[in-house]
Amino acid sequence: MSENNVSITMDRDSRNLRLEDEKVAIEVNDWNLYYGNKQALSNVSMKLPENRVTAFIGPSGCGKSTLLRCFNRMNDLIDIVRVEGEMTLHGDDMYAKGMDVAALRRRVGMVFQKPNPFPKSIYENVCYGLRLQGIKDKRVLDESVEWALKGAGLWEEVKDRLNDNALGMSGGQQQRLCIARAIAIKPEVLLLDEPTSALDPISTLAIEELIFELKKDFTILIVTHNMQQAARVSDYTAFMYMGELIEYTDTDTLFTNPQVKRTEDYITGRYG
Amino acid sequence: MREWFKKGEHWIWMSSAMVALSVVLVFGLFSMITYKGLVHFWPHEVYEYQLQNGKEIERVVGELRDSKMKEVSAGEGQAPQEIPQLLIKVGNRDLYGIDFRWLSSDELVSDEPKIAQDAVVIERYEYGNVYGWYQSLKVADETFSGSDLQAALAKQVAEGKRLHDEIKSIEKGDIGLINYKIEQLRLEEKRLQADGDWTDAKAQLMKDERAALDQQFREYQAQTQELYQLQKTLGELTMTVSGGQTLNVPVKNIVEYWQPNEMNLADKLGFFFHGIKRFLTEDPREANTEGGIFPAMIGTITMVLIMTILVTPMGVVAAVYMREYAKDGPVLRMVRISINNLAGVPSIVFGIFGLGFFVYILGGSIDELFYGYALPSPTFGTPGLLWASLTMALLTLPVVIVSTEEGLSRIPRALREGGLALGATKIEVISKIVLPMALPAIMTGLILAVARAAGEVAPLMLVGVVKLAPELPVDTIAPFVHLDRKFMHLGFHIYDVGFQSPNVEASQPLVYATSLLLVLIIVGLNLGAISIRNRLREKYKALDN
Repeated sequence: MSENNVSITMDRDSRNLRLEDEKVAIEVNDWNLYYGNKQALSNVSMKLPENRVTAFIGPSGCGKSTLLRCFNRMNDLIDIVRVEGEMTLHGDDMYAKGMDVAALRRRVGMVFQKPNPFPKSIYENVCYGLRLQGIKDKRVLDESVEWALKGAGLWEEVKDRLNDNALGMSGGQQQRLCIARAIAIKPEVLLLDEPTSALDPISTLAIEELIFELKKDFTILIVTHNMQQAARVSDYTAFMYMGELIEYTDTDTLFTNPQVKRTEDYITGRYG
Repeated sequence: MREWFKKGEHWIWMSSAMVALSVVLVFGLFSMITYKGLVHFWPHEVYEYQLQNGKEIERVVGELRDSKMKEVSAGEGQAPQEIPQLLIKVGNRDLYGIDFRWLSSDELVSDEPKIAQDAVVIERYEYGNVYGWYQSLKVADETFSGSDLQAALAKQVAEGKRLHDEIKSIEKGDIGLINYKIEQLRLEEKRLQADGDWTDAKAQLMKDERAALDQQFREYQAQTQELYQLQKTLGELTMTVSGGQTLNVPVKNIVEYWQPNEMNLADKLGFFFHGIKRFLTEDPREANTEGGIFPAMIGTITMVLIMTILVTPMGVVAAVYMREYAKDGPVLRMVRISINNLAGVPSIVFGIFGLGFFVYILGGSIDELFYGYALPSPTFGTPGLLWASLTMALLTLPVVIVSTEEGLSRIPRALREGGLALGATKIEVISKIVLPMALPAIMTGLILAVARAAGEVAPLMLVGVVKLAPELPVDTIAPFVHLDRKFMHLGFHIYDVGFQSPNVEASQPLVYATSLLLVLIIVGLNLGAISIRNRLREKYKALDN
């Protein structure tokens, strides 16, 4: 992959991260998920740390995207999906009966694999979530849009054409717009589902830098196919295989000293 | 050659030939209707034919409308001869009984048609056209002839037109309004009586009101009587017509007169456009065989618009439910199959349903509940605009549902998820993202629906269209759109004029002109919708990538 040629000079803020010391944002206990009769996730238990970047890696079909979509209940949309287990966001049961799913999704934002801006202006895209909450005050909207676009590193590029259609932007810009749209409603957690897989190396670099910036304000969970990317941007990495969580620890340990044979095989490229 | 077949070239040729054939058919149809429809407005040359009639020579004046070959046997052992037969519009119906006459060319003195110098064509309010020459114009005691006649005639005809318009405006406008008010008063009285609210005071009040209206009515009537008297003083034009007879034409009867053989191109073009304008803005006359088609045009457009207003929400909501909410399964599949089959039901069946259900059951119930006092004369329990529009909405519903569903299914999942991930509920995603993006597809459905509804005739005959409606369905009296009124429709007008009129031959050009207008209205409505759709497509072009 061309990303190997991009030199990354980001420094992780701490080299001595320990999962046990972190504050927990999301806690998962004995999580099982079935597509009809087929089990897609089995007995996943993990604690996801606050204001850190956690990466999910693993071969195709290992269930990492499925797990990510559990965090904002996106799997609810699929009729045949059935889940078991417990999942809490800052102590609140996310799958409690009578849970307001829309409210939960405001707390857990998501950016998808392919940029999916709405066919509206850049401005309207960013304030879409705010308008849904009934915010009509032009000043509040303006401020939020500026803040979110700055947060997504897009402000300088688009500040003069906020009323242009978002579909006229490049792929990388569109993806950053989607990030701006997601952070505009100030979620607690930001889910990134292979956010760079449809982008060129320069755009990828821009997004990776952005992720690094964003973790100050948000808990970030990222699914990626690209191990170098996981190594570059994440503080913690979870390796999944066949619907199971194989190994989950801080990124340095996982990549330099994996405890499980399968993890080692995967990261050294023996399969995947 | 074998190679050629092997490569499948013949399929390409065959399919392109079929495409070419379709294109030729469409253009052929359209150009024929256009030509025949527009020719109606062109001032035709008037010819004079001289006919050997025994010893005498008979002069026949008229427009050449058609010619046919007739085989006549030329004696034993000889090949039959072909003799051209000419169809001449001779007009002067009050004199000859019919407008047309077939001439056999072997009876003609000379084969060359002669342009009739100074011939005049007069369009009348009664008895159709006059073809002939000016003789004299008699106004009161004065008699004009020769060069004075034209100026005097122009003046008298203009005055006649003014009087005619004034009478029409009083009769249709003022007297119509009084009649409407008296009718409302009568209904109000019946309603009060039915409700038991009828008191002597109210009776007196109504009596006074009615007396006032009657008084007004009489005043207007006196006015029109006066105008009618004035019309009689306009004078009388005496014409020499073919056969040397004279024909008296009262000036008040003249709609329009022209001398086609003396017109230059500019005159003819002016006449042509003036004719089109009159066609579009005037009411029909003489059992629809003459005059304009204004009420039919208004009726068609009103019906189509009301149908659109009815069918859009019904179709879109149904499609949203089926695509977004209903669980896939045998029931949904059954519903889909039913809807698709609904599109194949013959339209007359919808007409029967509309008559049986909408008019008799629904309309009858509405009458009983709200208009009981007016019974036995029905208000909504009779065919009318609302029921016609509703029947048409039902007829076009499948088209709208199917195309809306198609549109909804084409909105990428990613966009819905994008909306949901921002905390939107399903209904918010549908109404704010999915439906706006499906608008082009919905518009496509509406285009098809409009085209179908505007062209449909059979069901309308049962649920509201009439040959001649006394009032327009839209006017200036509140509530402006009268859903209970019967209306006229271009499609039915074509059928009526073309096949039901007493004078089919004479009204044939009108049939083509009306057809052309109907096609143009549908094309216009479609072009409008298509341009809206294209603008929407441009806005939501994300769908393509």
